[in-house]
Amino acid sequence: MKKNSSGFLGGIHPTDGSDKALTVQAPVTEVNPELVEISMEQTPGNVCRLLVKEGDFVHRGQLIGIPQTFAAAAVHASVTGHVTKIKKTGSLGEVCVIRAEEADTAPEVRSYQTEWMENDGITREDILRSMEKGGIIGMGGAGFPAFRKYQTEKNIQTILVNAAECEPYLTCDHILMREQPMGILNGIQLLIKAAGAAEAVLCIEDNKLDVIENFRTILKKKEVPIRLQELPTMYPQGGERQLIQSVLDMEVPSGGLPADVGVIVSNVATANAVADMVFAGLPLIRRYVTVSGCVERPGNFLVPVGTRFQELLRKAGDVSAGQNQMIVGGPMTGYCIGTNVRAERAEGAVSKATSGILILPEQVTTETPCIRCGACGRVCPAGLNPFKIDFAYRNGKLDVCRKLYATECIGCGACSYVCPARIELAFRNIAARNAVKQTFRKKGVIQ
Amino acid sequence: MTEEQGRKGPFLRGENTTRRIMGDVALALMPALTGSVYFFGIRSLLLVVTSVITCVLSELVWEWLTGKQITAFDFSAVVTGILIAFQVPVTTPVILIIISGIFAIIVVKQLFGGIGSNFMNPALAGRLLLMVVWPGKIIQYVPAAGTDAVSSATVLAAMKAGEQGNYSWLDMFLGYVPGALGETSKLLLLVGAGYLCYRGLINVKASLAYILTVLVVTFVLGGGHLFGGDPVTNLLGGSLILGACYMLTDYSFISARGRLIYSVAAGIITGLVRIYSSYPEGVCFGILAANCMVGLLARFEQKHVYGTKYDKDQKTAM
Repeated sequence: MKKNSSGFLGGIHPTDGSDKALTVQAPVTEVNPELVEISMEQTPGNVCRLLVKEGDFVHRGQLIGIPQTFAAAAVHASVTGHVTKIKKTGSLGEVCVIRAEEADTAPEVRSYQTEWMENDGITREDILRSMEKGGIIGMGGAGFPAFRKYQTEKNIQTILVNAAECEPYLTCDHILMREQPMGILNGIQLLIKAAGAAEAVLCIEDNKLDVIENFRTILKKKEVPIRLQELPTMYPQGGERQLIQSVLDMEVPSGGLPADVGVIVSNVATANAVADMVFAGLPLIRRYVTVSGCVERPGNFLVPVGTRFQELLRKAGDVSAGQNQMIVGGPMTGYCIGTNVRAERAEGAVSKATSGILILPEQVTTETPCIRCGACGRVCPAGLNPFKIDFAYRNGKLDVCRKLYATECIGCGACSYVCPARIELAFRNIAARNAVKQTFRKKGVIQ
Repeated sequence: MTEEQGRKGPFLRGENTTRRIMGDVALALMPALTGSVYFFGIRSLLLVVTSVITCVLSELVWEWLTGKQITAFDFSAVVTGILIAFQVPVTTPVILIIISGIFAIIVVKQLFGGIGSNFMNPALAGRLLLMVVWPGKIIQYVPAAGTDAVSSATVLAAMKAGEQGNYSWLDMFLGYVPGALGETSKLLLLVGAGYLCYRGLINVKASLAYILTVLVVTFVLGGGHLFGGDPVTNLLGGSLILGACYMLTDYSFISARGRLIYSVAAGIITGLVRIYSSYPEGVCFGILAANCMVGLLARFEQKHVYGTKYDKDQKTAM
């Protein structure tokens, strides 16, 4: 399998770009919800202990959750007001409901958002501590705490700032880059320092020409170790490993981390969040969320963490398709939280890792026999043969799955996308990956 | 927030389904079908319809009897049916078409596990059965309508017998020659192939590699002396274009390089059969032989798995 023109293995073009056009020119709406529901489990399995109880008064930015697990990050109140309720849920841990009582004043524009900042007085430790205190997580979706990534003892040469945003429909990173270019660049400078890297590469897909042009103009005016890299639009260009392959022509060893080859990949929103925390003391309590698909007014929303989905859908003018499914995240790697959704019935709230809410027409697919067309193998960015892993997994042969490198699946969904037999390849390849990792880790065969 | 079981991502799926692909192939064969009715009369339509109904019914009954998922309506049996009829002359008895269809679907396709699991192209295998068991019944070719030819031997058979060709290249290209139902008009086959190219369903490289190999082999070895063959007649005279566009890359799941090897192998065998065997046509043998090599080729396939170049023990996925 050779690399394609986009620089990584395989890859697909899921859409023609009209999906992103739905939201990219729409005005950005700032949302000040009356009520927020902040989960103590911002990413699955990563639990925080709640510090407040019902009736407490909390300030915007106040620490309300302390991490209890390795991959958890601190949680802060995103509005000022009283804690009205603490819900105990199964999948989200404790959820702290806060009623906003003080209207959020329009934040003043700070200098780091408009000009280059000097960061000579800031040490690596300062930045790492800020990242930890600010509850900053990787905003690309997985939500691993940023400070843990940057704490590495490994020798880091390059930071890749991931602004590929290759998932269809999502434009929240695009909007962020349009609204906060200087915040991002100052944040990248901090990331370089935090990792002790020589340079950073800002990687943007070529469907975002306006921000590429803007960054190019800004970067021309000052000598900084930040390079701009335009990438061909192809999914999953923004996969961590794929990005390293495209930009640096290196591969992360199987079972290893990007740090093993001297690279850290961070989302562009993470860079901005670090700048917010270091220069303005603002923890990660707000983010851009794309609401798109079958809604009356698709667009991007700047919302406090904990904003309920129903509120967001109402702002977007409610759902316009009857038979629909509601997806949190992108359409390729997100998950479905309900079908035939109307705004008032939408459950759940924005977490730090929520990049979008999509209402897509309901799809009902039936699996038919594999016709051995090999399309899944041609598009797999990990170079796997998904149909073989699928077959072995269905027959319970985990050792075969391991020999087929099921552990290297990145879960991008490209195989299921192309499969003409509508086989749930991605679903079972991910299941096979997890089962193999679990089984063979126990036996001590793999790390 | 509960993740609904049974609703599996990704939530965007490509437009191609098995049904759509097979439907497109069937659609692409329609110009050639129209041509066959024009050249050989309404009986060709009867043969095609009989063949299609036989194939679909065989598949349906078998799947119903064995309790398997019903895939009889995904158009793959329709394509098989059309292709079986396309490879025989208009004089073929209807009963042979029915036997061929049942054999192709039940024995070659379903007994090996149904769509995707069969190791060779059912339509070609069905035609092979007729060639081997009733050779006399499927060689009664008739001249095409619109010609005043009296000879009813196919172009390739005439060439094999050492006769001087009576047909111009243009006649062969347009289809004014005796031959099997669907293979004579290259123009109409290419119209369909153009549509499949547009839909991205033909592996153009594999098809071209196959055609070129046949032409080279027949040119080099085909004449009385080295480099004395007639590649143009070989290209336009037989079912080469039908095979290359509609049968060759069926069900092969190998990499680009593997496909190239596969196509070249099919081409060499086709060429050699045309030159040295008692049969004038070799497409059927060439592709079937290559079909049987797919498993072997796939075994040698080297596929680089991301992140494993540091892995000393295993470098590639199986």
